[in-house]
Amino acid sequence: MPTLTIDNQKITVPEGKTVLEAAEELGIQVPHFCYHKELGAVGACRMCAVTVQEGSSKGLKMSCLIPAEDGMVVTTDDEQSTTFRDRVGEWLMLNHPHDCPVCDEGGECQLQEMTIASGHGVRRYAGQKRTYNNQDLGPFVAQEMNRCIQCYRCVRTYQDYCGGRDFGVMGSRNRVFFGRFQDGTLESDFSGNIVDVCPTGVLTDKTYRFKSRYWDLQEAPSVCPHCSLGCATIPGGRFHELQRVRSGENQLVNGFFICDRGRFGSGYVNHPERPRQARNNEQLIGMDEALRQLDVEARGLIEQHGPEAVLLLGSERTSLEANWLLQQWAKKLGCREPVLAAHGPRHQAAQVVAFDLSDRLASLEQVRGSDLVLVAGADPLAEAPMLAVALRQVVRSGGQVIVYDPRPVELPCEFDHQALSPLALLDFLTAGGSDGQHVRELLQHAESPILVGGADLLGVEGLQRLKKMSLELSNDQRPCLIYPLLSNPNSFGAALLSLPEQDDLLTRLETGRVKMLVCLESDPLLEAPESDRFSVALTKLDKLVVLDYLPTPLSVHANLFIPTRTPVESDGTFINNEGRLRSYAGVLEPGLPISVAEDGGHPPREFSTVSPGSDPLSASRILQILLKDDSSLVELHQQMVADFPRLAGLTGLTPSDAGVRVADAAARNVVNIDLPEQPVGTLQLIVSPARYGSDLLSRYSDKLEPRFSSAWVMMNSQDAAERGLQEGDKVILDTETGSFCLPMICHPQLAAGCALVENSAALASLVPGAGISYCEVSREVSHE
Amino acid sequence: MDSIEKTKPVGLLEENQIAEFIHHARELEHPRELIIDILRAIQKNHGWVPDEGIELTATILGLTPLEVEEIATFYDKIFRRPVGRFPIHICDSICCWTRGGEGVAAYFQQQLGIEFGQTTEDGMFTLLPSCCLGGCGRAPGVMIDHNFYGELTPDKVDRLLADLRQEVQA
Repeated sequence: MPTLTIDNQKITVPEGKTVLEAAEELGIQVPHFCYHKELGAVGACRMCAVTVQEGSSKGLKMSCLIPAEDGMVVTTDDEQSTTFRDRVGEWLMLNHPHDCPVCDEGGECQLQEMTIASGHGVRRYAGQKRTYNNQDLGPFVAQEMNRCIQCYRCVRTYQDYCGGRDFGVMGSRNRVFFGRFQDGTLESDFSGNIVDVCPTGVLTDKTYRFKSRYWDLQEAPSVCPHCSLGCATIPGGRFHELQRVRSGENQLVNGFFICDRGRFGSGYVNHPERPRQARNNEQLIGMDEALRQLDVEARGLIEQHGPEAVLLLGSERTSLEANWLLQQWAKKLGCREPVLAAHGPRHQAAQVVAFDLSDRLASLEQVRGSDLVLVAGADPLAEAPMLAVALRQVVRSGGQVIVYDPRPVELPCEFDHQALSPLALLDFLTAGGSDGQHVRELLQHAESPILVGGADLLGVEGLQRLKKMSLELSNDQRPCLIYPLLSNPNSFGAALLSLPEQDDLLTRLETGRVKMLVCLESDPLLEAPESDRFSVALTKLDKLVVLDYLPTPLSVHANLFIPTRTPVESDGTFINNEGRLRSYAGVLEPGLPISVAEDGGHPPREFSTVSPGSDPLSASRILQILLKDDSSLVELHQQMVADFPRLAGLTGLTPSDAGVRVADAAARNVVNIDLPEQPVGTLQLIVSPARYGSDLLSRYSDKLEPRFSSAWVMMNSQDAAERGLQEGDKVILDTETGSFCLPMICHPQLAAGCALVENSAALASLVPGAGISYCEVSREVSHE
Repeated sequence: MDSIEKTKPVGLLEENQIAEFIHHARELEHPRELIIDILRAIQKNHGWVPDEGIELTATILGLTPLEVEEIATFYDKIFRRPVGRFPIHICDSICCWTRGGEGVAAYFQQQLGIEFGQTTEDGMFTLLPSCCLGGCGRAPGVMIDHNFYGELTPDKVDRLLADLRQEVQA
């Protein structure tokens, strides 16, 4: 641990830290552009010059490149360094346009800050500036190359870190160009990160263009609600409109970057059809009245028909607090315990993770640091995009990634792929023949092996087998940890709070004893399999109550509708896929955005003391009102910890924290699941989430529309040939859920004996994670 | 092979050249080593490398067009725009400069009536500045079609241009 002196202050830093990092720890800001915490240093911009007075090599040095040495004496504010940095600032500004007032980066521009900090104010250069033609990079990123200062951060992020192959640097000398081969949409699912890393206004968020200045935005640390990883985000809003989302930093989870689904999937907050007022059937009512009606009617029904009469349904996308309060409300009402997730099989799988695997879960940081990752039954880009970037870091540092999944999985790195059908995958996890033996041996010899398991495809049975594998592969020197993928931002939280082995939603509804169903931020029509069965069950109800912030089909059917707030409009906590409590802070107060009101024209000219559309309350607030509970969030957390000691980490947790793991749970009894027998001539049906538009929040986000996919069914080329089918044929897919007429596509890398479909708005009734099921594919019979 | 058929414009590479490059690329751990070789082969056949040439190279090597373009645009001896029959690379590095390179460059421009980066109207000559060509002992010099011509004077430049014109007519 070298101790060095920077500007007369002594500091001891770990071996290998650079002088720039040491200075930063002392609070000394050395100006820099090309150095970035996650990307490292390249010494391209020459801005971070300091003078080494004592050390193995003295003189003017680039502080991002020289390691801290014991006894080193460095000055950052001496004449030589400041003059050099002045010159570099002037030189970087040589071609840079003086257009800050019309540049979208103005106000949060590192170049602006550093230029002012270095004191460069008057341009001496009177010659012509170098100019470029810009490219159209698609709907997400705007390019303005004239502002480029050649720090290479974008290409280091896009290509090196995230593995994109269609954006790079061309040319040489003073004519380098950062862009694509030709105009066109950036292909990477992580393209938005180049907006965050660009230190000036070359690459900006096209969806946020000219909407706000940075200082006018309301921002707060938040958690991405688009998958189960819980990446750190910083949403920014203004005028009741969520205008953009940028990446937050959480070294234990996402590091510095986020995926495009998280960044550009925020449109659901401003959705023009978002219900913002309470409603009794067709009649709009106030929030107080709606809550009074809900309370009175729930009590009345229970008094009249007993505790089964009211069924409360929580959700995997609502906060931990709201789910817990729902349980408290059930106790107070005297009805049976709530069901906390509409999707039974997913919920059961999440319980295996929350209980049985809780002592062997890896963080995403541990995945990045692993030397061998086995991905079983998971398609990272669809289920948890930032995992794909983490796997790339494994390969970049010399590790290996092996994927066993039926789908033609793509990753932004080199990896080995074995296409096994879901049933064969289960066999592989237990014994797996010689191939399984070989993978086991590799894992045995790895230093920090990790097993990634997708809960949707593996299900309860597969996750239990994965645990057995992890136990066998762990030894005294090191564990073999599991990194599970769940479906929703709070799947783990809902599972943790749930009573094990309770009846699922449909079983309870179909008894006919339920008179009132209260759905809290959940739409089983879209978020659970067997929507037909659910539709039928709905007809047996006297009253359907929906509390939600999305314009879901169920909210239209509701007898009583109560609007709630999105995660960016409330404080709360999610538990991510590895059991980490991640709390988020509200950014905005709800209200009808000006951009949506009056079709984007002038806001209403009526005077009012409240802003239109500001009725929604957070789900937890609504439940607290029903419980007549005035506790603050801190007090609420204390009660939750008392009720569930595993949640001890809630105490003192703040949104800017990296998050605390929930305490381990005792493993439960292993339940043997009977897998359904495969009928002769059928194919195994695989329902995978689409990369965009499978999770409800991204489905209601207009910004992501260019990425939405159409519906199709995919077959292995050989299976298709056996059935006399060709790519592009219209086929009939017969499933337990129903028949679908879809175009067929062939893929040689899809496991044999399988049919793959993607869940999205285009094919909403097939929902992933419903378990092993079978289907048939046949040619559409023409009616001519 | 289908995709190669689709992206193959006439006259970029011969069938057997394509087959040979594909064969060679399979034996390499890093097929991108071949980028320059393929681009030069295209340039030899076609005079310069059009977008289709970049795409063809990418298809042969299993790369994205961007990955080929990054290399193609880095080197000033790979032409991404049409050039004349004889691109003239005039050295502007220090040895040639000390021996009157600037004067030679000016003389070329005056004789051909074009500036750096331009092509003569008859499509014969393109003038390009170049960094050191390694002919310092015979400075000032130029490179034309892989041949180095040194110790240039206005007389020698006149003769050189006349010879080249004649070569085309012959």
